[in-house]
Amino acid sequence: MKRSAVILCSALLFTGAMGSADAATAAAPKTDDRVAELERRLDASNKLIEQLSERLHDLEARLAPPSATAKAPEPPAPAQDETTARLAAIEREVGEMAVAGAASSGSSGLPVHGFADVGAGTRGAIDPDHKGFAVGSLDFYLTPELGERTRALFELNFEVDENGELATDLERAQIGYQISNGATLWLGRFHTPYGYYNTAFHHGQQISTALRRPSFLQFEDAGGIMPAHTVGLWLTGAHRLGGGRWTYDAFVGNAQQIEDGTLNPRQSGLTESEFTVGGNLGYLAGGFLDGLKVGLSYYTSTVGDDALMPNRTRVNNYGLYATFDTDRWENLLEFYHFDNDDLSGTSGSHNSNAGFVQIAYRLERFTPYTRYERAMLEQTDAYFAAQTSGGSYYRSAVGVRFDLNLASALKLEFGRTVETDRAREEFGDALMQYAIRF
Amino acid sequence: MRFASRSIVLRLGARAALAALLVATSHADAPPASLVLYVICNPSVEVSEEDLRDVFLGERQFAGDVHLTPVDNRAAQPVFLERVLKMTPAKYSTTWTKKSFRDGVNPLPVKGSNAETIEFVRREVGACSYVTTTPGAGVRVILNSTG
Repeated sequence: MKRSAVILCSALLFTGAMGSADAATAAAPKTDDRVAELERRLDASNKLIEQLSERLHDLEARLAPPSATAKAPEPPAPAQDETTARLAAIEREVGEMAVAGAASSGSSGLPVHGFADVGAGTRGAIDPDHKGFAVGSLDFYLTPELGERTRALFELNFEVDENGELATDLERAQIGYQISNGATLWLGRFHTPYGYYNTAFHHGQQISTALRRPSFLQFEDAGGIMPAHTVGLWLTGAHRLGGGRWTYDAFVGNAQQIEDGTLNPRQSGLTESEFTVGGNLGYLAGGFLDGLKVGLSYYTSTVGDDALMPNRTRVNNYGLYATFDTDRWENLLEFYHFDNDDLSGTSGSHNSNAGFVQIAYRLERFTPYTRYERAMLEQTDAYFAAQTSGGSYYRSAVGVRFDLNLASALKLEFGRTVETDRAREEFGDALMQYAIRF
Repeated sequence: MRFASRSIVLRLGARAALAALLVATSHADAPPASLVLYVICNPSVEVSEEDLRDVFLGERQFAGDVHLTPVDNRAAQPVFLERVLKMTPAKYSTTWTKKSFRDGVNPLPVKGSNAETIEFVRREVGACSYVTTTPGAGVRVILNSTG
């Protein structure tokens, strides 16, 4: 009713003004004053029509159902066909985005986000001794709104271990204070900020193009040889400089301990004063290099183990990474060098290397990718010798990701792994994964 | 009954003709409203056009002492993403998911229409958004983009 009234009113005003103008033109003498008056009245009428038209547009947007609002394009003008077509395509995606709810968290309540994945394979994605269907993980992360500067992030992960038992990990429990636009200080358990992959993807399989993490970058309890989590203090931020942006991280936390062949971040505290200290410095380019990020990371730690004659190793890890992430490309390169010192024995210094390169190209919903990873870990180094997954290997893989929509993806990967020192095994695998985010 | 039916038909016909005239007139002398984009902020917010990318991607939380509250506007989002952020909706969505996952910052709330957005920005200290209709008084226009 209201809409009809607006239309009727607008049209009457318009036709009234036009009628007056016509009558005046026909009957009145062509004096300047008369013409000026008519022009003024016509302008006023046109402005009123414009305002009513905008009001009508808004009322229609309000009255229409949400999906229709997101998808209803304006009537195209001939000269704007190309732009309109492009906008229509984008509008479709925005509609999907609204459905996915990825960017529609309200300002009230506790925002809950998460990832989940399931899959199948001729071998397990993490444990090659298993095959068939498998549950990956269910990962919730909470980001409560706690005021202007207080921040909090809690991540709870449910996964199935090698025995089929449900395992629960408090992946992250960090509370922070935003000092400025370029600095936030966190306290608690966080993702150790080395390289790029560990903080960018972690348990978020749906946002990761590839089906699995590089093996040497796996989580501590899944075969990783580096501390994926640290319990401590973390300062992070970014500063814009010219067209690009510098990013930085500095952290200190409890030193890890190798227990039962696995790195333990010792989140309940230490029995001695040994810490991990490190940082990460990156540059995110702008302009024609938009999407390129390069950086360096470093951490040092004193790591012990639970052997009968316990070893202590000073771990020095130097990282180098480069990523090129655009609408089309997602290329990742990470390289790590270990320069470890034996503190408890007489074996001296040991040098080891690990790295991977991944190239992916987005073709609308399909993203084919390939990855090569390699770890050359010195077995006389107690740090690697004490870890169950401390052996050297290389793996090549090709895969494809298919995005069903913005919130779910199917992935297929074929890999070939060669273990080069401990087991000297070689095997291939074919894996499938269905990953979602919410 | 016949008079009533005739009256309804005439009224509907008149409405249709007048609505068509109205639409034709409004499109004849101005580009469609959806092709004019205004990025607007509450008058309390002092940011420049160069800051907009950081504001809407969660990299900038404060303007001076004012805590920023950017919101998306579903009615104008395609135009905004294309002209200001120069991102596809998929890229925008994934960027926010990564940002939220890494830094604990929540994706922007979404408003449903230009009118709702303008009212929110006018009322809320620190608010910023974008619309495809003339925003009127009570807001600061940071960017006015056509075509």
